[in-house]
Amino acid sequence: MKTIWFIAVKDIRLLLLDKAAAFFAICWPVMIAVLFGIIFSGGGSESWSMHVAVVDEDQTPGSRAFIQDLAESEELTVTETGRAEATENVRRGKWTAYLVLPPGFGETRENPFRGGGAQMEIGIDPSRKAEAGMLQGVLMKHMFSSFEDLWTDPDRMSSQMAKARQQVEQAGDMDPVAQALLAQFLNAAEQLYAEMPEGGAFDMAEWQPFDVETTDVVRQQEGPRSSFEVTFPQGLAWGFICCAAMFGISLVGERMKGTLRRLQAAPLSRAHILGGKALACFLTMCLVSALILGIGIVAFGIRADSYLVLVLAVVSTAVCFVGVMMGVSVLGRTEQSANAFAWPIFMIMAMTGGGMLPLAMMPGWLRAASTFSPLKWGVLALEGAIWRGFSVQEALLPCAILVGVGILCFGVGVRLFRWEQQG
Amino acid sequence: MLRLTDLRKTFGRVVAVDGLSFEVGRGEILGLLGPNGAGKTTTVNLAIGLLEPDSGSVELDGGGRPSDLATRRRMGIAPQTLALYEDMAGEANLRFFARMYGLSGNRLAERVAEVLDMVGLTERRGDRVSTYSGGMKRRLNLAAALVHDPDLLLLDEPTVGVDPQSRSAILDRIRDLARLGKTAVYCTHYMEEAQRICDRVAILDRGRLLALDAVDNLIAAHGGKSVVHAVFADRELRVDTDEPLAELRRLESEGDLIRFSLDRPDLESVFLALTGRHLRD
Repeated sequence: MKTIWFIAVKDIRLLLLDKAAAFFAICWPVMIAVLFGIIFSGGGSESWSMHVAVVDEDQTPGSRAFIQDLAESEELTVTETGRAEATENVRRGKWTAYLVLPPGFGETRENPFRGGGAQMEIGIDPSRKAEAGMLQGVLMKHMFSSFEDLWTDPDRMSSQMAKARQQVEQAGDMDPVAQALLAQFLNAAEQLYAEMPEGGAFDMAEWQPFDVETTDVVRQQEGPRSSFEVTFPQGLAWGFICCAAMFGISLVGERMKGTLRRLQAAPLSRAHILGGKALACFLTMCLVSALILGIGIVAFGIRADSYLVLVLAVVSTAVCFVGVMMGVSVLGRTEQSANAFAWPIFMIMAMTGGGMLPLAMMPGWLRAASTFSPLKWGVLALEGAIWRGFSVQEALLPCAILVGVGILCFGVGVRLFRWEQQG
Repeated sequence: MLRLTDLRKTFGRVVAVDGLSFEVGRGEILGLLGPNGAGKTTTVNLAIGLLEPDSGSVELDGGGRPSDLATRRRMGIAPQTLALYEDMAGEANLRFFARMYGLSGNRLAERVAEVLDMVGLTERRGDRVSTYSGGMKRRLNLAAALVHDPDLLLLDEPTVGVDPQSRSAILDRIRDLARLGKTAVYCTHYMEEAQRICDRVAILDRGRLLALDAVDNLIAAHGGKSVVHAVFADRELRVDTDEPLAELRRLESEGDLIRFSLDRPDLESVFLALTGRHLRD
């Protein structure tokens, strides 16, 4: 057992002495976790708003005031531009939608009794249904806000009433009875606003179609608390991949350089030699995982739902990738050929297993394909511990699969491993 | 100390070792001399248990087999290919290999210091092997074979690519070890080395043992006569003789001898006589 330990210490020492290897085993996974975490978090603490282009074809004080209202809203980021540029940028996906205010918009908005609502045109990708609905809601809110301003301003309202009564009186094609009733209503309303004390004694400004009271309720945890809780399992996955690749290829390197032969000439069994290499790989994976998780916890506020499940997940994934390491060592006769064969396999494993795209964001077909990637089970187990809320029983399936794959790969690798350098 | 009996090893259709038998006594240096492909490295690998023979046997001290880990502990190998961890320091390499043979504590520290001193690398012990010269790496390769103080050394071309100064130092160290009672099997295709340090030499060709004896006996048996080349004022003479000194005296007595040279037979002559080819063919 001592010799296995000494071989493992030697291999870890060699890894640390090789700056490139140490970078890929330690720094690269952390970079993946942090960079992807920042990208998925939308660039930090900025609040999200919908980017909308506005084309003002009316160019009246009414349309200008409406655009000003929109620009001041929290929901929208407004850019005024021409129709062609607006259409192009929405088509490219740079902006969410464009809004065209046609000629006459300002007049209609200012004069609600004129008949017919204010016309607007919205341009948006048909696949963005949720955002289209949200934009319509925001526009409605601002249109109602205009009405509210009008109804609480007696002077503007009186002026609009006078204009409306004049239009009713001049409407020759209107039913006389309706014409008389409308005129009577407008007179009464005008009289009402004329008698309204300054400052809006009718409290119209406070009027709402319905009253909404909002209570803060902490939502039950059903997902990651931050994007880093998704990307750190990804980073860990890359740590396992890099360690498996480096130790597997170093085993081929030992055969090429003759040190494996020298070890075989020593009073050691083959089990000692491979056991030492496997222990080195396992310990390095555990240390790298601890380091990455430590950075995640201290610097990015990651918390595990269950630290017991987290340890179980890390150990199981490490066992799996020790087996993969042994598999890598039989892929080529030289370090170069093993490298050339291993990395494409690892890239596919990462693409399908959640090393690049988080499992939660994968389309259905890719999620189904990921079943065959051991990395998927590793990422799932790690996510289970960190934010999916896996119990030990729930974690047992992915962990058992990982250990099973590891044992299988290790067995096949030992069976196929070439102890002698040939050719 | 080491007995090989009727060893045979083939790789596909190639017969690497064909019915090889010899014994090496304690404190003896046995040279395995032959050109590339003669079967020297295969013989060493069979002796240390890295290869299993197709037939025949290898025994250490009348019973131990090299596949036994306890027997292997008493053997040290300096392989032809440098087998060192280049990113580690020389001392760290030796400490690692010593641990592989079960050394620890003070004994380990003492042995590492001793072999570093023996191969003249004490001052460079903390430097990475990748910064060593070819000769220094060869010396460290030898030190790694010696660090656990083995009874039997298997040295496979330990001076290949080494400068003359380092080569001389390595040969001296091996001779010193033999004086201390260590046994060595020394593979080489340099006849000068075999003549210089080996008590006996086995001449191998195409996996077969052609001759095995002390260097002088081999030369006497297979090397042919010495050749005296004499230049007189009016003539030149070339004389084959078993007694070159007596022949020279005779030629001098004939008068007018201006100069002479003497070609003594060596292991190259022995190999040529036995195979019809030169060692470096």
